[in-house]
Amino acid sequence: MKKLTTAMALALLAGPALAEDKIVIEFAYPYSHLFDVTYEKILPKFYEAHPNIEVKMRATYESYEDGTNTILREAVAGTLPDVTMQGLNRQAILVEKGIAKSLEPFIAEEADFAKDGYHKAMLDLGTFDGDVHGLPFSISLPVGYYNMETMAKAGYTTENLPTTWEDVIQACVELKEAGVDNPVFWGWNITGNWFLQALMWSQDKPTVMGTDFTLDEPEGLTALNTMHDIFRGCDMQNLEWKAALASFAAGDVGMMFWSTSAVGAVERSMGDFTLVTNEFPGLTNNGPMGLPAGGNSAMLVSTSEDPAELDAAWKWLKFITSGEGAADVARTTGYMPPNQAANEIILADFYAENPTKATAVRQLPLLREWQAYPGDNGLAATQVIYDALEGIVTGEFDDMEELQQELSEEVQDLLPTGS
Amino acid sequence: MPGSRAYLWFIGPALILMFLILLLPIGIAGALSVTDYSLGNTSANFVGAENYERIFTRTTYEKMFGATFRYVFVVVPLTVFLGLGAALLIHSLTRFGDLYKTIYFLPVMAALIAMAIVWEFAFHPTIGIINATLERGCGTWLEAWNWYAAGCERTFPLWLTDRDYAIWTVAFIGVWQGFGFNMVLYLAGLTSIPRSLYDAAGMDGAQSGWDRFRLVTWPMLGPTTVFVVTISFIRSFQVFDTVEAFYPQGGGPSKSVYVMMFAIYEKAIQQNLMGIGAAITVVFLGFVMFLTILQRWLVERRTHYV
Amino acid sequence: MSDLTRSTDRSYAPTDGLVLRFSTREAMKHAVLILGAMVVLLPFYVMVSYSLKAPAEIMQQTGGFLGSQEPFRDDFCIKLGNAVEDCMVNPIVYNYTTAFEKAPLVRYLLNGVIVTVSIFLIQVIVALPCAYALAKLKFWGREAVFGLVLFCLLIPVHAIALPLYIMLAKLGLTNSYAALIIPWTISVFGIFLMRQFFMTVPDDLIDAARMDGMSEYSIVWNVMLPTAIPALMAFGIFSVVAHWNDYFWPRIVITGNRDLFTPPLGLREFKGDADGDNFGPMMATACIIVTPLIVAFLLAQRRFIEGITLSGMK
Repeated sequence: MKKLTTAMALALLAGPALAEDKIVIEFAYPYSHLFDVTYEKILPKFYEAHPNIEVKMRATYESYEDGTNTILREAVAGTLPDVTMQGLNRQAILVEKGIAKSLEPFIAEEADFAKDGYHKAMLDLGTFDGDVHGLPFSISLPVGYYNMETMAKAGYTTENLPTTWEDVIQACVELKEAGVDNPVFWGWNITGNWFLQALMWSQDKPTVMGTDFTLDEPEGLTALNTMHDIFRGCDMQNLEWKAALASFAAGDVGMMFWSTSAVGAVERSMGDFTLVTNEFPGLTNNGPMGLPAGGNSAMLVSTSEDPAELDAAWKWLKFITSGEGAADVARTTGYMPPNQAANEIILADFYAENPTKATAVRQLPLLREWQAYPGDNGLAATQVIYDALEGIVTGEFDDMEELQQELSEEVQDLLPTGS
Repeated sequence: MPGSRAYLWFIGPALILMFLILLLPIGIAGALSVTDYSLGNTSANFVGAENYERIFTRTTYEKMFGATFRYVFVVVPLTVFLGLGAALLIHSLTRFGDLYKTIYFLPVMAALIAMAIVWEFAFHPTIGIINATLERGCGTWLEAWNWYAAGCERTFPLWLTDRDYAIWTVAFIGVWQGFGFNMVLYLAGLTSIPRSLYDAAGMDGAQSGWDRFRLVTWPMLGPTTVFVVTISFIRSFQVFDTVEAFYPQGGGPSKSVYVMMFAIYEKAIQQNLMGIGAAITVVFLGFVMFLTILQRWLVERRTHYV
Repeated sequence: MSDLTRSTDRSYAPTDGLVLRFSTREAMKHAVLILGAMVVLLPFYVMVSYSLKAPAEIMQQTGGFLGSQEPFRDDFCIKLGNAVEDCMVNPIVYNYTTAFEKAPLVRYLLNGVIVTVSIFLIQVIVALPCAYALAKLKFWGREAVFGLVLFCLLIPVHAIALPLYIMLAKLGLTNSYAALIIPWTISVFGIFLMRQFFMTVPDDLIDAARMDGMSEYSIVWNVMLPTAIPALMAFGIFSVVAHWNDYFWPRIVITGNRDLFTPPLGLREFKGDADGDNFGPMMATACIIVTPLIVAFLLAQRRFIEGITLSGMK
């Protein structure tokens, strides 16, 4: 911040040399390789609308975890940026530590926030303790990827793709009989226990309620059993997820259940087969009752006291999450903007041309929170669960009831007590 | 009289820097190891030996010790012997020595992240070059070997994501990366052995290559070996980069590659639990110090200094 | 010391029998070494090959060594809104130009040079006198100081990274060259290495210098340094290679300003996680950043071997 105020002071002193005072805000985001092009597209439009604001890009984060850890370090060092993009499940920790600021005061000033496409489900993703702290920017949902040529070997076409997990297991069996060695890859190892939360939300059950880890309830057992059945019934290999994506792209795997965000990469590198994406199967014929949203949101972490700077930061925040700014997310990456106006109006044609990306959009009504585990040990808890899920895949854990009990205890132990 | 105060100026800067950059942070880590400090918190609570207790009882940490020791006791002997072997071979060549030296030193010079990605691809269970080559041998006489036949049936090991093979795969890569370093050190040691000693041995009746090695080369390499073994030990205890590159989350399948340095990084930096991360650091230092002293004592006694 | 000047005379090598040009022994040695070289070079072969290929070829492992060099669709260009025809690129061209354009690689290489050279120079200034004192000067506590040096060798940087970061942050030095350089100014490895070397320098040389009236200070820089050049080269190679490739510390300490990135950080620009990494340019970058090291090694390795030799492995 010292540098910023010094820069501004110098800018002021430069006086007549500058046509107008430019307010500089510092911004950081993750996954350079994915989002560089997105911001490259958005910036000119932003500068047209707000010529007196300059957005200075900081070094990009390597991942969502890197983003959170960098912010934590910068908070201690006193070198926070103005706006930061954080993984949806990494917002909570910044709110808890008081680093992320509430956006309510800014929203209150807006004339008609909802009209700009900000609907409740979207804002809920960034709401903590009743206050909005983050505006979701890019969203992903779990979908099923199908190699249609491989599926055809067992008699599947686009008309009869699996809609429940039982169907999936059935498909596995049939594919194996037809000679397919690796019928399925199920993304249990995706970051932040996302797929466990997917199974919980499919039953309309949050994985965390307050400080209570809900795996000890019946829904938890169902989730564990479903995973167990899929892994055993399909004889799924313990592939690292990058290796699995590569296998699928090479045509080795029949069905893959993963985030829609990889659609772009798979299409870019796939072999000669037809890729179709379809809805994430549910536990019943009605499909899942909810699905966790992946992706990142924009948060305000500025330590500046200057209202003009804060206002500029807000303008940037708003621009990238609505209108053309938001639409560019879909145009440039495999993610979607959760903004209603952007999806329904601006991108209607885009989705018609890119059906593989449209599946996730159809599932938007199911959007639920990607939950973080509260307290200092939140990340450690994520790891404990990850290790347990791995044990199911490798066959180390076979008794799901026993696992349910042990895991619930261990995780609950790591979470803070009380509400 | 030699400047009696001069030495203060000489060791002064080094001591000050050692204190500020190395010892003070370790001291801070030591202090943090008895608290529950997490990055971003405004305060820390004293928790006594709780962190240490966790380390010695939880199974995760058992795996940590297991992984670390397996790695060290595979990598150190292999890098030392391969380094020595390569040095001996190259040293005795008449041509192309420089070319081989450069090739064998290449792994030390390459950027690790890129190498990790390449190795990941090479070890990919189905499309990687290693398993693909193994598959080609299916249906031949190689199937007489049980392990090979089992592999041909379903699939060959998953290597990096295989609970049984991961640590050995990572160790292999560690050896690949490290033996060039030792080779260079040994080459230097070899070039310093005076030929008069070989002549003397020859006159005493030592004719074969093995005899010359046993009577002259190996003893004269004693001090080099001390240095090489010490440094190899320390470096392999400190292994981190390869593990983090392959397993940014979790430390390997079923934590089979959860080496101590990775545990420190996971707890202190990934999970923001500085308290327990610091405790593992202290335990780590204790171990390494003990083992280094032990090893130096054992080896020093047998070392022949000129 | 005169024995050592015969160091590179190969006819005295221990395992050589008759010095015949293409003896079977030689052939066998070459056979073994070539086999070893193949294992060692495998990843480099792949690295260079990937830097020449299109994404589809990389993911599916096709195309031989050079790749089929068919033009492929540059998705980034399309995403920016251009037509598909304008966005067909040749793999080699795309990979290497992206490597230089996406991230300012030349700037990173420059940073690498600035950082590694600065680190090495300061390390020498700090380590050389200390090594001399430990080797040649007798003073109370000498063994204790040396023991401290050995202890510090055990301390891994990852363990002290956070406390160091916080200390630098409080001084306002993060995101600067200072942050990249300061933690490495003390090289206990260097002190250890140079001390070993200095112990082999005959005391007479030093006594003579003292009798000539040279101060201890000038002995270090005018007597020890010249004789230490080979060992210094050795130290230099180890130091430069380690810090050129250092990924962990710069990542921790440089967060605000991309311009300060060191070469390995250039690789991370191409990591994309869920959407797949951009392997072609990543491998191209890797090839580019290892090249200066190879060149430096080739140039320095003669002096380097001499340097280790004389650093007293005896």
